[in-house]
This record gives sequence, structure tokens and C-alpha cells, in this order.
Amino acid sequence: MIEQARTHGIDVSALKRGGERRSLASEEACMQVQDMSLYYGEKRALNGISMTIPRQCVTAFIGPSGCGKSTLLRCFNRMNDLIDNVRTEGRILLDGEDIYARGVDVPILRQRVGMVFQKPNPFPKSIFENVAYGLRLKGMNNRRELEEKVEWALNAAALWDEVKDRLHDSAFGLSGGQQQRLVIARAIAIEPEVLLLDEPASALDPISTLKIEELIYELKSDYTIVIVTHNMQQAARVSDYTAFMYMGDLIEYGDTDTLFTKPRKKQTEDYITGRYG
Amino acid sequence: MDKLNIDHHISQRFNEELEEIRNHVMTMGGMVEQQIASAIEALVEGDSELGQRVVRDDHKVNNLEVRIDEECNRILARRQPAASDLRLIVAIMKTITDLERIGDEAEKIGFLATRLAEAERPGNAYSELEHLGNHVRNMLRTALDAFARMNPDAAVEVAREDSKVDREYEAIIRQCITFMMEDPRTIRRVLDMIWCARALERIGDHAKNICEYVIYLVHGKDVRHIDIEDVEREIRDA
Amino acid sequence: MSNEKTLKTWWKSGSPWVWLNAAAVTLSMIAVIGLLALIAVRGLAHFWAPDVYEFRYEEADGEIVTLYGSIRDTEQVTAARLRQAGMQLDDVESEFVDRHLIKMGNRDQLGSDFRFIVEPRIIERSTPTDIVMVERTEWGDQTGFLREVLENSEVIARGAEAWPEFEQRIARVVELREKINELESDEIGAINYTLEQLRLEERHLELEGELTDARLAELESRRAELDERYQLLLQDLNALYEKINRDSYVMEVQGGIDVELPLARVVRAYQPNAMGFFGKLGFWFEKLWEFVSEEPREANTEGGVFPAIFGTVVMVMLMSVFVTPFGVIAAVYLKEYARQGAVTRIIRIAVNNLAGVPSIVYGVFGLGFFVYFLGGNIDQLFYPEASPSPVFGTPGLLWSSLTLALLTLPVVIVATEEGLSRIPRSLREGSYALGATKAETLWRTVLPMASPAMMTGLILAVARAAGEVAPLMLVGVVKLAPSLPIDGNAPFVHLDRKFMHLGFHIYDVGFQSPNVEAARPLVYATALLLVAIIIILNLAAVRIRNRLREKYRALEN
Repeated sequence: MIEQARTHGIDVSALKRGGERRSLASEEACMQVQDMSLYYGEKRALNGISMTIPRQCVTAFIGPSGCGKSTLLRCFNRMNDLIDNVRTEGRILLDGEDIYARGVDVPILRQRVGMVFQKPNPFPKSIFENVAYGLRLKGMNNRRELEEKVEWALNAAALWDEVKDRLHDSAFGLSGGQQQRLVIARAIAIEPEVLLLDEPASALDPISTLKIEELIYELKSDYTIVIVTHNMQQAARVSDYTAFMYMGDLIEYGDTDTLFTKPRKKQTEDYITGRYG
Repeated sequence: MDKLNIDHHISQRFNEELEEIRNHVMTMGGMVEQQIASAIEALVEGDSELGQRVVRDDHKVNNLEVRIDEECNRILARRQPAASDLRLIVAIMKTITDLERIGDEAEKIGFLATRLAEAERPGNAYSELEHLGNHVRNMLRTALDAFARMNPDAAVEVAREDSKVDREYEAIIRQCITFMMEDPRTIRRVLDMIWCARALERIGDHAKNICEYVIYLVHGKDVRHIDIEDVEREIRDA
Repeated sequence: MSNEKTLKTWWKSGSPWVWLNAAAVTLSMIAVIGLLALIAVRGLAHFWAPDVYEFRYEEADGEIVTLYGSIRDTEQVTAARLRQAGMQLDDVESEFVDRHLIKMGNRDQLGSDFRFIVEPRIIERSTPTDIVMVERTEWGDQTGFLREVLENSEVIARGAEAWPEFEQRIARVVELREKINELESDEIGAINYTLEQLRLEERHLELEGELTDARLAELESRRAELDERYQLLLQDLNALYEKINRDSYVMEVQGGIDVELPLARVVRAYQPNAMGFFGKLGFWFEKLWEFVSEEPREANTEGGVFPAIFGTVVMVMLMSVFVTPFGVIAAVYLKEYARQGAVTRIIRIAVNNLAGVPSIVYGVFGLGFFVYFLGGNIDQLFYPEASPSPVFGTPGLLWSSLTLALLTLPVVIVATEEGLSRIPRSLREGSYALGATKAETLWRTVLPMASPAMMTGLILAVARAAGEVAPLMLVGVVKLAPSLPIDGNAPFVHLDRKFMHLGFHIYDVGFQSPNVEAARPLVYATALLLVAIIIILNLAAVRIRNRLREKYRALEN
């Protein structure tokens, strides 16, 4: 009673030193990467990476070009299968099951782990058909159901108000930022568990970028999001956890606050402060 | 021994900006140190002229604080520093606040020195204040040194010194109370002495703060408001 | 020094290149426009009704004759040459003289439609307004003066009154002739077709050993029924023939001879000298329409070319239907499914080289493989009743289309592959990332986006196929096809029939016709028509392609 009076009813524990710091150990794992290596022919692109992607958090991969961050991201939905001469070792568990195990249905995996690419890549169809694409693939053909789902997805991607009057116009009529949000809507329409974003804002102007970042923040309550970005400030802004990769190695992985104020590794420090190593 | 590689940025311009801002902080530190020295001298020598000059010069310190603040703001806005760069800017912004406060304390001492010069001077010519003053001046110098060299060990030393300063201050207060009890006519003068001692003690506190910023800057640990032993343990862990 | 410098800077500025490029483009333009202009002018002039002159002309032997004819061509020849040929040109001083080619018609009387006359020996020329040109169903045109119109050998009109009567009766004849045609080719043709089917059915049953008496009786009854209908039609036909043969007319032709002919022979009659400009213009359109809508007469030298247009278009469309799916599937396999390596590279090289094989070689292949081997086997297996006359074992529309499909296959494959490789990777990945399988990605995204490229391939294929003649001569084209490949008799599309083709028509009229001189303008007109049809087919395809392109405009930036 007295304690409460002294602190004017404020919960002091929240204000304790380091009280807001989150830690990976306390998060529920969504995906687990276990000693993942990847080879392009003879060239090794990923060197035995192990990490845990926490559920319903935003995890950012940063690092210089060619460090393997995109490659790692594309391992999460086996997009690398499409490239000839790629060989992988190690395991990636999604909800405890190895996605590289024999007999895994890759299209089903990709429905569970959606992906958005660097450049907006809407299909040459109407806005509606773009969002309905994945739904139709899943066998949904009822017009009413499709309409509901498309509206829901466009709303979730914060695009509904901008396109509701021209759903049946070509998706190419949208601006770059709108196209990218359309692509995100397309990805979340099929309700994946994980959303992989490969530099989703690198082709956009700053305002569109902020809209996408805001969207990422809102989507995080429902999806596990992994984002690759060249823009460190963006990683700092949107992510809960950040992984720094360099030359196919995972150098440092931890909560974003710590990584951007007090990184443990000198390589990380040099990269995020713009120094030469 | 530049632990933070401040001059290793890919952007040479950024290196220069950081170097410049650090130089300005050191200039400001030197200026403040000089103010303290002058104020103590004015007090000890009974030089009212010098005391007045200390009061007059305080605005230079204030100007420098504003200027450095602006530079920090600019770097924050334009460079969006991260990690050690971010800590450096944050430490500088806090350091100059403390330096400015030290400047204010020096000004206060200068003003009191002018007043005391007209009063009757005691036999020991304020030697205890001189001693305390030199002590805190040394603390400040070491703190600035630690800052310049980013040396957290030296910073811990200064923090340790602060408790000695506190004891010295206690002793002076007790002595002053004795004076006042012995001879009530001296109360006015002794009160001024107490103000001086109080100001010097505050300078010691500010010097200690600066040392804490150095530790934050180098180790990324916030060591404010914790025991000195804990500080040392934190540093060892880092 | 300074001159050299300016020349050098001029050279460096790149303007010589610009000029060179402009010159090349200009030359190409001139070539194209010149070609089109030549065939257009020559071809379209054919339908214009020229003035017909009455010449008084001194023959080489000094005899003075009267000639009726229109000037079709004028050339300059040396007087010396004519003198050598034994012509008297005493009063001619200039070195060159004009020689005219005149069309006189009256081939039945004179043996030839055309003759040359030289300008200096024309004594007099005039354009009598009452001179009449008559187009006939045989023996070409008739030129002369109308004297009498007769009905059942009794004179109805004579002299000036004859012409309106004549025109009126021609209209009746034309109408009757249409009716006769209808009866003959449509109704009687249908009966004949059905009778032939019945014969084949009977033979089929016989071969199968199922020809029971009941069946035979049924067939007989159907045949009898048809026969009955045929007899009725024949009566109608005879009545019509009687009607059409009622009238005749008398013309005074060159040499002052009166010729009496049945009016049933007349297709059209006109007085060219009496027609004004607009009258001639109307006549021109009438003739042009006849050209594109009527069947040919008199060994293709008169009448229209409709069957050839029809045959060309049907053949090209059929070829498109064959080549597009085949080429697209092949390209998709090569590009999307086949493992890229030495084998696919060899296949690609082979496909590209296939495009360079001379077309006649395809014709030979088509004849050997399609007609004799495939067609022969099909006949043996499915049409034994028709034996010994072949059904598919003879050149025809199907084999022509297939041969040309084979000929144009490389173009479609190459264009489609090109289109497939131009689809941005990101779009495929976008589809895969939504959980699409390879086949789903192909069907829903890649193929629609590659459709403009497929259309490009088809456009090139059509352009090539429509102009191809040589292989067709071996696998299905004929000079004169008795019936169109699509008609009202079930199954409506007759892939086994031979057909007419504009390209072959040009060759036939131009080089194989008994009356080359008369047919030459027709060659130009047919060539123009062929070009126009190719352009129309292409424009249609280009339009479709552009619409597709607009729809599937990829993210190019």
C-alpha cells in the first residue's frame, strides 16, 4: 500500500534497468536452423549456420552483399531448389519438422512459408486475381469465399482502401509501393505461418518504405516474419532480433536493441557503424 | 590507444566530424579546468579581479556547450550513428552538460572569492579549500584524460576518488561549524566558505559522472547509481 | 588543314552513319512501295473498261480493214525492224514508230483476242458510242454492234431499240443461270454426294460381310428415293434450260459479219464508249467484286478467284491450328522441362536448321510420308470401301496443311522459346512462393505471358505459309477444284479434298494458260490479292498479339 503510494501506482518493475530487453531464450521457436550449409556447385555459400527464428517476431538478416543472407532466407521455403547445382546439408525445422526431409511436399511448405521479393512482382492479372492466385491454387473457387478472403488480405496489407474501387483493373496500374503491398497481400491471403521478406522495400521510395515497415509491425502479431535488408536503419526500426552475417557465417545474432547499441563482435560493430574491418 | 577506432570509418568526412567534436569537448574541458584553477587562485590569493574574470568568462563555456550540442544533433540527424558511434555521441552530450555545470560551480566560486577577498582573511588562507579544489581539479583532469583516451580503468579510479572528496568536504563543513560556534561574527564569511566547499564537492560529483559516461562509451554498460564495487565487477565482465 | 578537320569532325560526329541508315531505310521503303504500286496499278487497271475504237487500218498488203478494239499496250519499235518484217512505211520519217497492242475479242471468229497495229498505218480512228462489248461464258469477249434480239428465232427488236431489250433479257438470263447453278451444284451435287456415300456404305458392308438382304433393300429404297428427287430436279433443270435458251441475239462483228448467238452465253454486256467516268467506276467495282467473289471461267482466265482465296485462307488457318499447339508444346518442353545440355543444344540447332531447308523438300517429304505412307495406310485401314480410288492417299487439304505446319514449326518453336526466356524470373518465383507447382506456374503465369511471343511466331509462320507454293503443288493444290473444302454436305469440312490456292493460281494463269496475253493483268491482280490476304491475316494476328502484349506487359523496368 505504502509502496504503491510512493510510486504513484506505476508498475516500477517495468522501469527497472534492462527491463525491456528481450532475449531469444525466452521466445518460442518457430523455425530452427541446424548446422545448415549450402553449396553452389563447389562453392560454399553458407557455413553451417544454426539459429532459431522466434515465433511472431520480426527477425532481420543484415550483412554485406554476398554474405548469404538472401540464400539463407531462400532456404526457409526451399526456393533454392529451383536453382541448378545447389546442394544443402543440415536441417531446418518448421514447428519441429525438418523441411528438407524426404517426402516433404514443397508446394505445401511454400504455402506455409510465404515469400515476398525485392522487386514487386505482381502477375499480369487484375488486382483481385493477384490476391486470389494462391487461394485458387489451394482449390478455392467459390466466388463469395474468394471475395471475402481477398478483401481480408488487402485489408491486412493496408491496401484495401486504396484499391477497393478498382479490384478488376490491372495490377500494373498500381504504384511501386502499392504493388509491393499487393504482393504482401497475395502472400498473406493463403495464411502462411512464416512470411519471408527479401529486401521488400529496396525498390521503393521512403514513404512507401515506411508504409511497408508499418505493415510489418502490424503483421507481426499474426505471423513470424523474417526480413533481409540492406538498410541497417530499417532492420533497426522493424526487427525484434537481428542476425549479422558475413561471408556465409552467422557472426552475431541477438536482440536488435543490443545489436545496434552494443554489439558483441567487432565485425558487427564495424559493419553497422560503417567502418572498414 | 584508441579502442573505438573512431577514425576507421569508411566515410572520411564522418571521421573528421567525430574528431572535431571530440576536440571541442577537450577544449571545453580545458576551459572549465582553467576556470576552476582561476577560481581557486582568486579564492586563495584574495584576488577579486581574478574572481570577477572567472564570472565573466563563464559564458564562453556556455557557448561552447551550445555549439557542441548542435554538432551532436547534426550527427544524429545526418549520420544516424549506431553502436560505439551512437554511444560516443550520447556520452558527449551528457559530458558537456556536466562540464557546463562544473563551469557554473566555478563561476559560483569566482563570485564567492570576490566577496571573500573583501572580508577578513583567515590565517591558513583557505588552505583546506585549496586542497579540496586541487583534488577535484585533478579528478576532472583525469576524467577528461580517461575520456580522451577512452580508458575505463582511469575512469574507475576517478570514481573511487569521489568518496575521498566527500570525506574532505565533510571535514571542512565540521570545521566551519566549529568556526561559527567559536565566533558568530565570522558566520557570514564561513557561510561563503561552505558555499565554496559545496561547489567544489559538486564539481567532484560531475567529474565522477563524466567517468561513468566513459565506462558507458567503452563498455556499453550503464553504471550510474550503483556501487563502485559493482561497477568494477561489470567492467571485468565486459 | 581546316577542311580536313571539319571532315574529320563530321566523320566523328556520327552523321555519316545516320545518313547511311537513312539511305538504307529509304531504299527498302522504295522497294516495298514500288512493288506494291506496280502490282496494284497493273492489277487494278485490269478491271477498268477502256474505250473501244473503230480503226480503219491499212494492212501490210495494202488492204484496208476495219478493226474494233481497245488499246492495251503501246510500245516503241524501230521503223527499220518493221520494214524488215515487210511492212510498208514509206511516209514515216522518224526512226521509231508506236506499236499498239489492241484487244479485239471475237476469238471465235478471228482466232485470237489480240493483235498489233502500228500507228502510222492507222487511217482513221473513232469511238462510236453504240459499240458493244459482250462477255461470254466461252470464247472470251465479243466486240461489235448489236443488230437484233430474237425470241424463239423471231426478231423482237432491231437497231437502236435492240440495246435496252438486250440488257433486260441479259438480266433475266443471269437470274436463270444462277438458279441453274444452284440446282446443279447445290441440290443435285448434294444428291450425288449422298449417292456416293450410299455406294461406299454398301461397299463397306460388303467388305465386312454384313451386306444382308434387309440392308440391301434399305439401301436400295434410299437410293430410289434419291433417284426420285433427282428426277424431279432434273425436270426443273430442263425447264430452266429451255427458258434460258429461248433468246438469242445478232451482232455485227469485225469484217461486217453478222453472228447469231444464244443469249444464254452472255455473262455481261456493256457499251464502254457510252459510259461516263462514274459509269466506268461503277463497272470497275462490279468487276472487282466479281473477281473476289466468283468462280473462275475459261481455264481460270476469266471470272473470279474466290475458290483460290477460300482455299488459301482455309489452308493457312488449318496450318495455324496444327502448328501452334505443336510448336508451343515442343518449345515448352525444350525450355522448361528438358535438362539443358548437349542434347537440347543439338535439338535447337536442328530445329533452327530445319527452317533453312528449301520448301520443295518439305513438299517431297509431305508427298512421300503424309500422302503415300500415312494417307495410304489410313485408306487401307478406314476407307477400304473407297478402293481403288484413294481418299486420304492422295494430295489434299490435310496433307498440305500438315506439310506447311512442319515447314513453319521451327519459327514457332524459336519464337516461343524466346518468349519463354524473356519472362522475368521474379514472376515464376512469385508463383512458386505461393505454393504453385511447376505445371501450375506454367499454365497460370508463364504461358499466358508468353502468348504474345507465340503470336509473333504464328505471324511469321502465317506470312511464310501463305506465300508458299512449291510444296503445295506436290501435296494438294490443283488448278481447278470442283468443290470447296468446306461446304454444306456433312461432315462440312472435307480435309481430303484438293483445293485451289492463290499462289498456284498466279503460276497457273501466268504460265500455263492458253491465253497468256489476256491473263497477264489477272496475274497482277491475283498477286495483289495474295499480298492483301497475307497482310490481312498478319494484321489480324498482330492485333491479337498487341492486345495480349498490353494485357501481359511484363515489368520491364
